[in-house]
Amino acid sequence: MLTSVVFDIKEFAVHDGPGLRVTVFLKGCPLRCSWCHNPEGQLPEPQLLHGSAGERLAGVAFSSQALADRLNSLADMLRVGEGGVTFSGGEPLAQADFVAEVIERLAGIHVLLDTSGYADESSFRKVAAKSQLVYFDLKLIDPAAHWEHTGADNQPILRNLRVLNELGIPFVIRVPLVPGVTDTDANLSAIARTVVEMPGLQRIDLLPYNQAAGAKYAACGLVYRPTFDDSRESKVNLAFFRSAGLKVRIV
Amino acid sequence: MNVIQNAPGTAPAVKTPATITEGADFSTSGFQAKLELEPQLVEMKRALRDGYFKQYRTSPEVDLLAECEVEQLSWPRRAARLIRRMCEAQQVVIRPEERIVFTRTVEKVPPIYSESQQRSLTAGRAFHELGPISNICADWEMVLSQGLWSRRKVALATRGRLRHDPVAVEFLDCAVETIDAVVDLARRYADEASRNQRHDLAKILYRVPAQPANTFHEALQALRLCHAALWLGGHYHCGLGRFDQYMWPYLKTDLELGRIDVNGAEQLLAEFFLSLNKDSDLYPGIQQGDNGQSLMLGGVKRDGSNGVNELTHMVLRVARGVAMIDPKINLRVTKDTSLDLLELAAELTQMGLGFPQYSNDDVVIPGLVAHGYELADARDYSVAACWEFLIPGRGMEVVNLGAVSMPAAVDVAIRSGLAAGDSFDEILVRVSTNLRSQVARLAERSARLLLPPAPYYSVLMGGCLERGGDLSQGLKYNNFGIHGACSSNAADALAAVKTLVFEEQSVSSQSLLAALITNFEQAEALRRKLFDEAPKVGNDDARADGLLAKLFDLFADACESIPATGRGGIFRPGSGSAMFYVWLAQGHEAMTEPVVGATADGRKSGGYFSSSLAPSPGVRVRGPFSVLKSYSRINYQRICNGGPLTLEVSDTVFRNPEAVHQVALLIRLFAAVGCQQLQLNTLNVDSLKDAQVHPERHKNLVVRVWGWSGYFCELDEAFQNQIIGRHIYGEPSKCGLL
Repeated sequence: MLTSVVFDIKEFAVHDGPGLRVTVFLKGCPLRCSWCHNPEGQLPEPQLLHGSAGERLAGVAFSSQALADRLNSLADMLRVGEGGVTFSGGEPLAQADFVAEVIERLAGIHVLLDTSGYADESSFRKVAAKSQLVYFDLKLIDPAAHWEHTGADNQPILRNLRVLNELGIPFVIRVPLVPGVTDTDANLSAIARTVVEMPGLQRIDLLPYNQAAGAKYAACGLVYRPTFDDSRESKVNLAFFRSAGLKVRIV
Repeated sequence: MNVIQNAPGTAPAVKTPATITEGADFSTSGFQAKLELEPQLVEMKRALRDGYFKQYRTSPEVDLLAECEVEQLSWPRRAARLIRRMCEAQQVVIRPEERIVFTRTVEKVPPIYSESQQRSLTAGRAFHELGPISNICADWEMVLSQGLWSRRKVALATRGRLRHDPVAVEFLDCAVETIDAVVDLARRYADEASRNQRHDLAKILYRVPAQPANTFHEALQALRLCHAALWLGGHYHCGLGRFDQYMWPYLKTDLELGRIDVNGAEQLLAEFFLSLNKDSDLYPGIQQGDNGQSLMLGGVKRDGSNGVNELTHMVLRVARGVAMIDPKINLRVTKDTSLDLLELAAELTQMGLGFPQYSNDDVVIPGLVAHGYELADARDYSVAACWEFLIPGRGMEVVNLGAVSMPAAVDVAIRSGLAAGDSFDEILVRVSTNLRSQVARLAERSARLLLPPAPYYSVLMGGCLERGGDLSQGLKYNNFGIHGACSSNAADALAAVKTLVFEEQSVSSQSLLAALITNFEQAEALRRKLFDEAPKVGNDDARADGLLAKLFDLFADACESIPATGRGGIFRPGSGSAMFYVWLAQGHEAMTEPVVGATADGRKSGGYFSSSLAPSPGVRVRGPFSVLKSYSRINYQRICNGGPLTLEVSDTVFRNPEAVHQVALLIRLFAAVGCQQLQLNTLNVDSLKDAQVHPERHKNLVVRVWGWSGYFCELDEAFQNQIIGRHIYGEPSKCGLL
């Protein structure tokens, strides 16, 4: 049985999908987005955080059965609440085998995969196929810009997006509006062009940049170094999506 | 008669009306989605928040003592004379924009006995709180549908029948005197309205409250007058009962006959709600806002059929538009309540006013039946000032006789038990013994309780005039309620001892005892172990939740061991804390319940407890689902005095477009898991902290304090701090914990 490190299990995660949900945050992420607001999710190992309220160990190892048991204890409530479980992170697909094993052990609970899309194709297929809904981040279409701001190639992401569309699983595109980086007309129109013909797309969520993104870096022993001017407000431009006939909202 | 017709002085300064932003539009039942207050109501609200109505309090103080002495009046006659003189002393205030009138002009309720007389009157006995009957609910359905004149006829008929019973005759004469006083007051208002060419208003006031109300407007005006008159008689925490049930017939007829449209009705209702805020600063309570102007919505009718109607929806919408602390809204739900209604309620929750408070019919009604309430009456339940279940018009219950200090019961047992080398089960026996002795002390107090005559309140209750007996002598239900206060810390303390001392044996009795005695001085490591590592209520952890359930069972055993109250009732155990979440921790001159020092759950001396049912302050909690599961373990069929599970959600939750639906689902979940009562509050801690530093910027910031909502800046700092320290759920940036 597989084991993985989880850095939070959050009940009543209203921003993580429909209905009443519990979100599992898996620790470890292959990306290093400079605007990341969950830096404690980046490293795969448990780590000691030094916050203002004292030290706290972020990250607890769960076997797939132990995590499934914990989630199954909430199954009746999640059903009443028309919700389910959301797997987030970090990047849940960095632990794809583990997540797949947990999902197999769930007692008929609705599963939402919240992913950056950055994973090898077989990992992506394995978990996406077991999910009822996918929240898929789309940050930057330009490969060089993607490298610059996330430290990774966006080709696997764009490929997995096509895979997702072929799988026929409903999905929501989530775009963080990072000032001057992802909120540009060029990027937003490219995103609209990329997703416009995809039948599985339910809507696009635009997430304006949160000024408090850097709040947890010190506790992780890190320094927040945004690759952009973080004093600027996000530009919220819905025009490209609306003109493409896409459903879009700001969350 | 001193009439104030035009607004004297300068117009009130314009202030930002509220710190709260309105939620999204939506519609239901074909009624309009969101109430926009008419300009004159917006102005009235500003005037209320600026204390504008206080300027009318110019009536000279009423002095009753002299005439009571000269005439050698009995106690019931003094109580009736008080109502009469207070009504007479009222000056008539009709502002040009008002459609529902009554503004209090007499500030103080005078004594009817001198202090020395009162001492001899109460020798060996004790008043409950301030003395006058409080915290019950009149039979408003009867009052509005029959009118005071028909009540007067009943009184006279009974007087004829019982003419040889001097006590009954005196009571009925007193009742008639109070009816005449209130009707006279209405007539003076009518005369003045007539003089001012306000003929519509005059017509209403010549009819009600003497005659049965015919229209929604008449019913609201009659309620305003009859309700306000209770306060003139020194009564307080006067409930409004099942408002949507007794008011709906009037509105329904008006709508059907086209006498009013929906918007007109909503504006009128808004004005009625605003009127409840005119004099409420004069109403006694522990803190400003604790005034018990609570009303109940929804639920089943007496025959078991669904009682939700258009007015249920309308009240929720209008309360959102009015956005003031009165009236406090309660909503009865079950797991099957429609999500439309729950979403409307969730939108009110979003306002951050701390209401509605929800109660679960599936749990409350059988619980009341198990405590001797007739099924039809149980179905008719409402709440007293805060959360205590009662039957309007049929209960003369003292729902807040006092509290058992659960932390003290547990702490005494742990300290004495560990010192004596007890087993854990023996410690539980000590807890039981302590709870029984606390309940016995309250029972002894209740036996000495002296309820003063209340002729006017008796007029508003079913049966008093019919049988010729004052309300204070009892009604159909005469139970006493006892709060089981601050249970979560108590259960956590037991769980820490059981787990760490007895099972794991990782903490020794001696070190724990020493640490408790010294308030954890030089034992911070041990305190953190108790606080961070022991099982806590709120995590769906049977080790803690089982002890919570056990505590309430022991409390119920203690109440059931007292066979009778001496007033033909029983002792109803509850789960509320009221102000005891501060008082039990820090002491208060007005309380007799035992205070505690440091406790075995790792709480230091003086630390606040949580409000009613909520995890102990500061402990790690998985989240609201686990909290609901933990508190669903209590056997509420034995714990039926009320006391809500208290959940605070972050206002950031509502940034999500689906949040209203999700909060509605959370309310449904509360009912589905079998919890009894829910207080769902919306908080933003940053604004609370800022309000402590800059109160002038947060004049309209409202918070739920315990069973009531108040303006944050009008609270004592201790209560402000307790609120800031609560668990808050749903903040995206804040990690819950594994």
